[in-house]
Amino acid sequence: MRQMTFALLVLAATTIGAFAHSKAEQTTPANEATVATVEAIEMRFDDPMRVTAITLTGPDGDVNIERETGMDAVTEFRALPPADLPDGAYTVDWRGLSSDGHPMQGTFGFTIAD
Amino acid sequence: MEGLAPIDGWAIAAIISKAAGYGAALLAMGGPLFVLVFPSSSADVRQLARKVAVVAAMIGLAVLALRFGIRAARISGMGLPGAVDPMMLGFVWDSPLGAAAIWRGAGELLVVALLIRGIVGLSAGLIGALLIAVSYTFVGHSLGDPRWLLASLLTLHLLAVAFWIGALFPLRHAVGRPDGARLLHQFGNIASFTVALLIAVGLIFAWLMTGSLLNLLSTAYGWTLLAKLGVVSGLMALAALNKWRFVPALASGVPAAVPHLRRSIQVEAVAVLLILLATATLTSITTPPVNL
Repeated sequence: MRQMTFALLVLAATTIGAFAHSKAEQTTPANEATVATVEAIEMRFDDPMRVTAITLTGPDGDVNIERETGMDAVTEFRALPPADLPDGAYTVDWRGLSSDGHPMQGTFGFTIAD
Repeated sequence: MEGLAPIDGWAIAAIISKAAGYGAALLAMGGPLFVLVFPSSSADVRQLARKVAVVAAMIGLAVLALRFGIRAARISGMGLPGAVDPMMLGFVWDSPLGAAAIWRGAGELLVVALLIRGIVGLSAGLIGALLIAVSYTFVGHSLGDPRWLLASLLTLHLLAVAFWIGALFPLRHAVGRPDGARLLHQFGNIASFTVALLIAVGLIFAWLMTGSLLNLLSTAYGWTLLAKLGVVSGLMALAALNKWRFVPALASGVPAAVPHLRRSIQVEAVAVLLILLATATLTSITTPPVNL
């Protein structure tokens, strides 16, 4: 038992370093950023993600965005908002299907201010 | 808490239906395994094992369809209309769940063939059991590296679990019948090996997913896994109590052993239910630390 505990501890100590890598996606605009304008909404994934739904909600409610990326699984997703977004707080909500079949979802927010 | 996905009504529906799918699949796999391993058990006990497996297989097929709808609803972000949206259902079909559904569906149909008496039905059921087990290696965390090791571990784990779970109803039925004590004793002996195997491969799998003891305590995956292991430990204690106290008492004709064993097997079934729920939670809304 004591030997087993020791072996487990050694394994634990030696394997921690291998998992510093993060799967969390990066976005443009960055989460919680304040920006003057938004040219595009972008999300980057470590593994291909099929983004099945995305909504942008602003101070006046839902905003229509135009998907530049189709329904294929991608590591870089891009959608275009209308040119003249009014100032205020915006939230992006997305749903997707990861390559291993898990339904995924995420949200990030940004503020537009001059 | 790291690695916990947002939980909404659909996620909870997904967890419950997944657990139901696990239960149905394991019972469906367990029936043919029981008939294979205990050919000399009494005819009515084997008949019950067959019946449970066939009903479970049919429930499993229905749950599989339901899970497609729930997953489509989840990825669509539209709620109920998304569950029947052809495009969203198409995406789910194209995902690993689609491939898994073909194998699992075929396996569950083959288990229904257990209704055919004799070697033909049993062979179909056994092939079905294997297909169902393998279907689980097409989805989720066992797709990671090392792929073949994870897939083999999972298949073994599922067959061993199925052997146990599939035996619960027939064993409960056998308690208090003429050859019941012999069957329970035999099961206890075989289970000592299969349960050891199932725990060993489960722990190796968990280790490959978790990576370190620290991750057990710092992630949602780790805590859910600990909860599962907690119930598993309780189940083991109960199984040990059955094997070393109640079954010998039954064999030596102690009358109280009959109700004790029956109740104990019922409690085991409840524990199994909790384990399936914990497992479904683990594989639905938490991310293994190695993938964080």
